[in-house]
This record gives sequence, C-alpha cells and structure tokens, in this order.
Amino acid sequence: MMRACGELWAFFWRDLLIARTYRTVFVVEIVEALFGVAMFYYVARFVDSPQLEHALPAGGGYFAFSLIGFVFLDYLNAAMDAFDRSLEEARDAGTLEHLLVTQTSLPVLLAGSAAYPFAVSAVRIGVYITWGAMLFRFPLHEANWLAVTAVLVATFLAFSGFGILSASYLLLFKRGNPAKWFFLSVSGVVGGMLFPVGVLPDWLQVVAKLNPVTYALEAMRGALLAGEGWGPVWKPLLVLLVFAAVLLPLAMLIFAWALRRTKATGTLMHR
Amino acid sequence: MFSLQRNVISFGVPENAISVRALEKFFPPARSGWRAFRQPFEKATVAALAGISLEVRSGEAVALLGANGAGKSTLLRILATLLLPTRGLAQIAGHDAATQAREVRRRLGYHAGSDIGFYARLTGRENLRFFGGLNHLSASVLERRIPELARQFHLEEAVDRQVRTLSSGTVQRLSLARALLHEPAVLLLDEPTRSLDAIAAAEFRRFLKAEILRRGNASLLFASHSLQEVELLADRVAVIDAGRLLACDTASALRQQTGTASLEEAFMRLTGRDVPSIGGAAE
Repeated sequence: MMRACGELWAFFWRDLLIARTYRTVFVVEIVEALFGVAMFYYVARFVDSPQLEHALPAGGGYFAFSLIGFVFLDYLNAAMDAFDRSLEEARDAGTLEHLLVTQTSLPVLLAGSAAYPFAVSAVRIGVYITWGAMLFRFPLHEANWLAVTAVLVATFLAFSGFGILSASYLLLFKRGNPAKWFFLSVSGVVGGMLFPVGVLPDWLQVVAKLNPVTYALEAMRGALLAGEGWGPVWKPLLVLLVFAAVLLPLAMLIFAWALRRTKATGTLMHR
Repeated sequence: MFSLQRNVISFGVPENAISVRALEKFFPPARSGWRAFRQPFEKATVAALAGISLEVRSGEAVALLGANGAGKSTLLRILATLLLPTRGLAQIAGHDAATQAREVRRRLGYHAGSDIGFYARLTGRENLRFFGGLNHLSASVLERRIPELARQFHLEEAVDRQVRTLSSGTVQRLSLARALLHEPAVLLLDEPTRSLDAIAAAEFRRFLKAEILRRGNASLLFASHSLQEVELLADRVAVIDAGRLLACDTASALRQQTGTASLEEAFMRLTGRDVPSIGGAAE
C-alpha cells in the first residue's frame, strides 16, 4: 500500500513538474475563470425571476445553479478525458513502453496518470467558486464541505470507470472515442447542467434518470447550496457509489484485456 | 529384503538468464480505414518469429544479428513483456514473460534504441528519478545511482537540463542510464548505439564491456547491425533470418563453420545472400 502511494506520488510530482514549466497557463486560467463567472452572473441577472428560482431544485438562484453545472461538468470531462489523454501522450512521446516495463502495476499506472488532472480540475472548481463568492455573492455560507469532498471523491470514482473504458477504446482503435463524445453531448442536454431536468419531456427525464451526470450534479448542488445535513446529498451519492462499484472493476478488466490484446497484435505503440 | 536408498545431491546448476523455446509470433495483417476496426480481433497470420529456441547463460552476452524485419526486435519485445508470444516459451531467470510479467520486469533493463521515451520538459535527473521510483528505488538509492550513471555515461552536465534541449545521442545515453538504474540482472538492448556518434558509441561499448560484462554484473541480449560491436561485445552470435534462428555460436566458430574470413561473410553465407563485391569488378 505504501509502495503504491509512493508510485502515485511519483506520477503526481511528474505532472506537477511538467505543469510548472508552463507557468503562464495558471495565470491565464485564473483570469479566464473570472470572466466565466462574470458571464454566468450577468446571464443570471438577466433571466432570474421568482418563478425561475422556484423551479430550481436547490436554493441560490440561477447564478449558483448554472455556475455549479458548468464547472462540475468540466470536472466530469476531466474524469472522462484524463486516462485516454495521458495514454495518448505517453504513446506519442514514446514513454508508454518504458512505463510498461517498470514494476508498477496496471491499476497504479492508470490511477497515477489521472491523479494530477483530477486534482487540477478540483482546484479549478475551487477557483470558480471562490471568484463567485468574492465578487458575485455566491452563497458559500450554505456549503457542507464534508459533503462536497464526499461528492468529489464519489464522482471521481464513478466517472473514472468511463475514463478507463475510453482509454481501452483508444488502445484498441487508436483514435477518438465516439462513446465519450456522445456521453458528454447527451449530458449537456439531459444531465441538468444549465437547466433542471424537470423541464424536459417525460421520455428525456427517463434518460436523465439513467445518466450518472444527473446524480453527480444533484449531489454537488445539494452539498454546496442546501446547507447543513446530508438530506439532499445521500441519495445521489449512493447512486454514484453504486456506479463506481460496478463500473470501476469492469473497466479495469476491460482495460487489462485491451492491453493484452494490443500486446498480442503488436499494436501497442501504433497511432 | 535389502533396499538401498539413494540420496540425490543437487549442486544447483546455474539457471539460464534467458531461455527461449520454440517461440512463435504471428501478427494480424495491417489494416487501414474502416477495416482497422476489425484489426484487434483478426487472426494473426503474418509470421515474425517461427519457432526460435535460444539460451543466454548468466553473465553471458549474446548478439542478435539479422536483416531488418528478421525478428530481432520482436524477440526482445516479447522478453521485455511488451508483446505476447503466439506459441512457445520466453523466460527471464526462470519466469515466464507472458504470465509472470512483474517478476520478469524486476530483473530487466530494456533500452529500445531510440532517442524518444522521455518527458521532454523534465530534466534528465527528474526523468531518472521518476522511472527509478516506478522501479521501487528509494530516494537514497537514486541519490547514489544517478550521479554514478551520469559519470559513467558523461552526462554530468546534461542530467540537469531539460531533455528537449539534449542532442539525440545524449538522450540515448540517458536512456541507457535508465535501463541500468535499478541494476538489472538481464539487459535487453535493441540497437543500443544507433543514434550515437563514433566516439560515444565506442565509449558505450567500452563501458558495457568493462562495467557490465567483465564484472559479470548482468547477462546481455542485444540486437545490432554493427558487426564491429557484435564481435567486440558478444560471447555468442545468434543469426536470425525471417523469424528463424540459423546459427548461434561464437563469432570465430561461425567463421569456421561457413569457411569465411569475416563475420560479415559468415552472416551473408548463413542467410543465403551473395557477398557483394566492391565496385562490381569481380566478374
């Protein structure tokens, strides 16, 4: 266990050192976040009304609702993207073979490659929310921080499964991932990102109920906006954990199979 | 009435560092366009190795000699656990490369003979620390090994520069340092001096001979197109052609067997190629 933690740290440190060489990106992203938050604030001022506020599932108005939807979908995107992007980079830079001849196990290799992108996405959520609280009265006093942490971890676990499946696809077929593209596009409509799923037609609400993004957003809004207690959080949190329990081991098995397959066909380093 | 119980005493015959038996490797045919979606599931029909058997003893250096596409890299990559064999056995220190990959990797140093495979924006030292960490080397061991290897490969100055600023030959020396970082018992080198200039290549051969082979620190299996390198480093030479092992013996024995004066001529004769005459004046 200690050894695995050490290896995970090695991956994290590697990515941090690489990111350090692109210092200006940090500054640009912080400024970009400010403009992003301002945009949601003014859109909310334009559309907010007592009726709209009443239609939203959690308190805080449309500004808080849409900002959480936007930044949290970015976090989910990182979960979906981290594994196949790091795999693609390793393949293109020629480091993949050298990683695979080290003594590191496959699960650690996968988790390690995603550790830094996840951490950065979590920090990005923090930056957006901090700008919102500092300048635009985002209702931070309502947040249950323990629940926020639990939701971030559960979301990380649940969506890692999709990310690893995506990496398996890349291993086998080398380019793109239509499933990931479809999943993220669909989630923009039936995930509750910018409007509550209650406004959708019945059949799309059924699709939304099958979509884990809906639960992740519901849990995060509950944790950040609904005040103390776990009432609005525990149910979507449980669904996310069930997703993770089913999907993660399955995705690991599929990835291990895909890796064996590429070793059998000799296409591991093919682009 | 009377039985004599025999006590069998084993003297523990030294294990082969590398053992390859009846090894076959087939690849599926290359596809493009829509048919590429079928490739991962297609039947492997293109032969790369056709039943190779080979052994490398502890402390021994064996060279793989063959034309491009003969199967040298495929054999090395199977032993490095990067490819799965279709049939047959490939073992490192008694461990099967296909089913006991982690045990194999523990004993293995692999150098792919190219100048890629590093994080370009990290320094050489940061890269070595990272890969050393994944090979379970502690910080204190890395503090000792990295300067040691930097000295041996003349990387003292380069090791603290970003890899993207290093020359191709320097990156290759760094790659060799990475392969030796965890002091592996078996070294697999695929054209180790391909990108090195004449001086760096000579120094590398000298280092390999003096520090690795003469001290018996590791067994070596390497592929090379340099006959000079093969003669200098290898105890035995395995000649491979079209996935088959044609001969495996000392360079002098190969010359003797083929009745030729040089290893180049021996190789040509074994692979059934005519020895080219210089300038075409032989007629």
